[in-house]
Amino acid sequence: MTKGPIDIKAHKRVIKAAGLQGPISGPPTWVESDKDGKIIRIRPFHYDQVIDWDSKKPWKIEARGSVFKPPKRTVHGSFYLGYKKRVYSPNRVKYPLKRVDWDPKGERNPQNRGKSGYVRISWDEAAQIIADELLRIKEKYGMSAVLSQADMHGEGKHVAPSHGCANRLLALLGGYTIQMRNMDSWEGWAWGSKNVWGCEPVGEMNPAGNLWPDIAEHCDALLFWAGDPEVTPMGFDGYMASRLSQWLHNIGIKFIYVDPALNWSGCYLADKWIPILPNTDAALYLAIAYVWLKEGAYDQEYVKTHAVGADEFFKYVLGEVDGEPKTPKWASEKCGVPEYTIKALARYWAKKTISIAIGNGGPGIRGPFATEPARLQSILLGMRGLGKPGVHQVKWLEWGIFSKNLPLPYQGETDPKIPQRAQPVPPPGKAESFAMENMEGRINEIQKRFEERGQVKDLGQLKADLDKLREITRPSKTPPAQSIPKCLIHDAILDGHVEWYGLRTFCGPDHEQWEKYEYPAPGCSEIHMIWTDSPCMVTCWNDGFRFVKALRSEKIETVVAQHPWLENDCYLADIILPVATKFEMEDICEDFNGGIFQSVFLEGQACPPVGESLNDFDCVAAVAKKLGEEYYMAYTNDELPFDKLVELYWLASNVSHLDTDNELREKGIFVIPPMDGIDKIPAGLREFAEDPENNPLSTPTGKLEFTSTKIKEHFPNDEERPPYPKWIEKSELHDERFGGERHKKYPLLCMSNHGRFRFHAQIDDHPWNREIPAMKIRTKDGYQYESAWINPRTAAKYGVAHGDIIKIYNERGIVLCAAYLTERLMEEVVYVDHGARFDPIDPEGIDRGGAINLITPTAITSKTVTGMVVSGFLVGIEKLTDEEMEAWKKKYPEAFARPIHEAAGVCLDGWLQK
Amino acid sequence: MAKVFTVDVAKCNGCYTCVTVCKDEHVDNDWTPYAKPQPEIGQFWVKVKDYVEGTVPKVKSHYIAEFCNHCERPACLKACTVGAIEKREDGLVLINPEKCTGCDACLEACPYDAIYKNNDLNICQKCTGCAHLLDAGEKLPRCVEACPTDALWFGEESELQDFIIGSTVRKSETGTGPKVFYRNIPGKFIAGTIFDPDEQEVIIGATVRATNGGKMWEVLTDDFGDFWIKDLAQGIYDVVIEAEGYEYKTFKAVDVRTSVNLGDIAMTKKKD
Repeated sequence: MTKGPIDIKAHKRVIKAAGLQGPISGPPTWVESDKDGKIIRIRPFHYDQVIDWDSKKPWKIEARGSVFKPPKRTVHGSFYLGYKKRVYSPNRVKYPLKRVDWDPKGERNPQNRGKSGYVRISWDEAAQIIADELLRIKEKYGMSAVLSQADMHGEGKHVAPSHGCANRLLALLGGYTIQMRNMDSWEGWAWGSKNVWGCEPVGEMNPAGNLWPDIAEHCDALLFWAGDPEVTPMGFDGYMASRLSQWLHNIGIKFIYVDPALNWSGCYLADKWIPILPNTDAALYLAIAYVWLKEGAYDQEYVKTHAVGADEFFKYVLGEVDGEPKTPKWASEKCGVPEYTIKALARYWAKKTISIAIGNGGPGIRGPFATEPARLQSILLGMRGLGKPGVHQVKWLEWGIFSKNLPLPYQGETDPKIPQRAQPVPPPGKAESFAMENMEGRINEIQKRFEERGQVKDLGQLKADLDKLREITRPSKTPPAQSIPKCLIHDAILDGHVEWYGLRTFCGPDHEQWEKYEYPAPGCSEIHMIWTDSPCMVTCWNDGFRFVKALRSEKIETVVAQHPWLENDCYLADIILPVATKFEMEDICEDFNGGIFQSVFLEGQACPPVGESLNDFDCVAAVAKKLGEEYYMAYTNDELPFDKLVELYWLASNVSHLDTDNELREKGIFVIPPMDGIDKIPAGLREFAEDPENNPLSTPTGKLEFTSTKIKEHFPNDEERPPYPKWIEKSELHDERFGGERHKKYPLLCMSNHGRFRFHAQIDDHPWNREIPAMKIRTKDGYQYESAWINPRTAAKYGVAHGDIIKIYNERGIVLCAAYLTERLMEEVVYVDHGARFDPIDPEGIDRGGAINLITPTAITSKTVTGMVVSGFLVGIEKLTDEEMEAWKKKYPEAFARPIHEAAGVCLDGWLQK
Repeated sequence: MAKVFTVDVAKCNGCYTCVTVCKDEHVDNDWTPYAKPQPEIGQFWVKVKDYVEGTVPKVKSHYIAEFCNHCERPACLKACTVGAIEKREDGLVLINPEKCTGCDACLEACPYDAIYKNNDLNICQKCTGCAHLLDAGEKLPRCVEACPTDALWFGEESELQDFIIGSTVRKSETGTGPKVFYRNIPGKFIAGTIFDPDEQEVIIGATVRATNGGKMWEVLTDDFGDFWIKDLAQGIYDVVIEAEGYEYKTFKAVDVRTSVNLGDIAMTKKKD
């Protein structure tokens, strides 16, 4: 037996960046397909089989007699390497769909969104309906009545990006309303810490250059404050964070985790776990500050020279403002950490060199009043001499994405910056966008770069090309007429009017925080049509059930979704366009954040499009064609061919002039060697620490503002975000603490984080991840319920056993989960990752899929902070009885009639009307 | 010649990538005569077991990746009545899907639960070590190639002696000569925190001793008043806590079948 080797070389192999962050593409993989175009396997990309490894001068970090080096292959997790099942998922939208009881020429039945099924229609019909609806809405209300929900995350594609293609067309029609993404994963830092340390544009500590080498050399310990290197980086970067964390631990750095759950990093690496009740971190920070002040155990000299407003804050901590000293005893009652542990932590932190390691927000920064723990974190780092050796806030992902200079472990000379053909969240009016950089400013720079190198002989051709590029990369000739913050869409629809602060642009500068906006903007209409290419509000944002109610409003006449899979908000759509995954198309992509090398590569087509799916760009082009030749040609830049587009994108990148050996074309990938002297870049805020006068922060005073100049100026009486950070027990907006009024009805705190086996809303249908008990449990009724983590002693109090179907509820509705009993979670807490697919029993109140964000708080972070609250909220739990389930089956027969795929859960078949 | 797997448990972050790529290779792909397609769900030719021990807040996890052991003296081969199982020259043990009659004899004989029944095809199936890839010139099975933390390795037994000497195998008592070698499987622990309830302070530098038979383990409490006595064998232990100025605290017959958190222990001050 086993005679004769199987000829695996007969398979076609293409490079694919399988990152799911989007717009950034992520590290490369190899995708191998058979001669019939079926994907056989997805595997790591081996640099050493393609390039001369040493000639690219790979980086290394040396500390304490040990060396950390990059691996010679990319290191991915199950998201990427199991993506074949995502491409061939039974949940793919294979052809255009129309909601069965939605008739654009008759009865629209908005009240049935989320309930009625779909019928297959032709591309021709679908494109015609959308084109007709656009023109009808434009005529009746004006184009501002069309809301574009084009958000980020998803596959990182460039030629046909996952998000924003519709914006190009809507702009050609005369403008639209843009949904502005709130700072969903870094709310507290953006709205809070920016007012302490500046650090535009995100509010997390920045610059973040060379932090890891500095930490490796100087740190005694890392405080993982809701930071998990095993989870958050996965969808972006792969597993370099795991390798780095293991190395740091091995060379002797202690790992301390402050978290309601012993997270996926802590469970195998923790030296100390300090469980803390969700969203009570502010109390713990304050008590630590109290101990330091009482014992004189902070960097007093540094605070004198580097901070302003410290005295006011210190008086508050000591109880001189409100008569309540923020003692460890006081804090212990709020946060559940024993008084003696708080003191021990304060003293340990005082005598050791410690950085705080975060992984973007997660639950730690997405609760009510998230600005307060974030500001306190920044201030406490300030009390320890922020920027001195080993004293930083450091992030387990992106590796310093916003730094001026790229840090280690980091790779290339510069961000490759391959352009994208669409912009997901262009700001309304003329405001500048920070994150989605306009190409315009780079054109001259590119020209100069080539001229300097003498690489371009035909200057006329280059100029013509650059003009073309200008045309392509400026999608929004007409900017959106108005915007609505994503976390206020439901209110905007249901209440007809909303006002808010900030969020003029995505990740905008701090001055926007003080500006007030309203919807409808002067001269604009309310919205009556929605086009979404990111249909995941119900499972990722605030109060999903209210979003369902909003989309069932009579006001919303038409909802268009374009997506590869039938999931979440798709069920609320009237027309669904089938989108091809990136595996089904060609592209040019970049690895900006894999953590090994930066690179630019050409992606081949791994398999033909599934069903009648088209890539995102072509989906919109089909509608453009129905609007007329003029729209179509403008939208497609005169049908600019793919090859020309790739050529221009490469030209426009930051690195094409470095590829002197034509490696992109010859090897399919151009690996960018690290910059010379990269290890000389000062670590983090070192220059500020050493000389604050000459290296000021971007705060008004240039110093760390323990008391904020700007908040004092604009909102001196803000009780939820006062000029210096405080413990906020409750407010008009939020009563989500133990001991409050609502606590009597909803006795547990719910924490929600990024899933380990899912990336936000992505991958929930993956059959192999669904077999992991920490993600899904198949219960006695055969259904795979989302795992809700509960401590065994808490479960016992409610008569819940492992594997029981439980109701997690509050006044907003009921979400069903399966109880997953674990000692990795403290008592009195329920923990459910966000992103499980909505599977409505009653679309306005009962969900079987475990989409916990359906019942997250409605209100924004605080009155002046336009963020969402999706962790640290009160719920009750109860075991679901068989009688109750039977009653639901009678009451909601259509919900239980949907066939359920054994391996993938609810899928396309479940919603198709035959 | 023998191909072996090695597993460094200390490096395993429990990411299940090995499971994913194994399925990527073997679900929906037909590698006859090496293996027929694995069903979409339900089989784990490599399986990750998630162990969580202790109680809040003294909790530790580790993961054990389990494979077919490609044994030196495979029980499955012996049990097979139709000659479908072969131990190859390179040591890998394969079930020929064209000869297998699905009688389950191998499945029942395997002491490692490594063999699965494919009811649709009526055959027994298991890890092939990705022999189809090795024969085509690849050096590593999919799981090892993809392991993002290098916890898994694969190669010639003779070349991996540095790892193998001092390692363990699963169920060595079965005598089948398993060829998957593990290192750094953590032992059991006894842990706790000691504090002064009046002062509400942890007690640092106290001595904590555990004894079992004639053996003794001794640690000091750390900056958080914590003690961790690690890498213990299962058994019954007596624990004594000795802190200067406090009464002795003893815990008799602590049952360490699984790891034990003795909790936050309030110490009593000695009377003058």
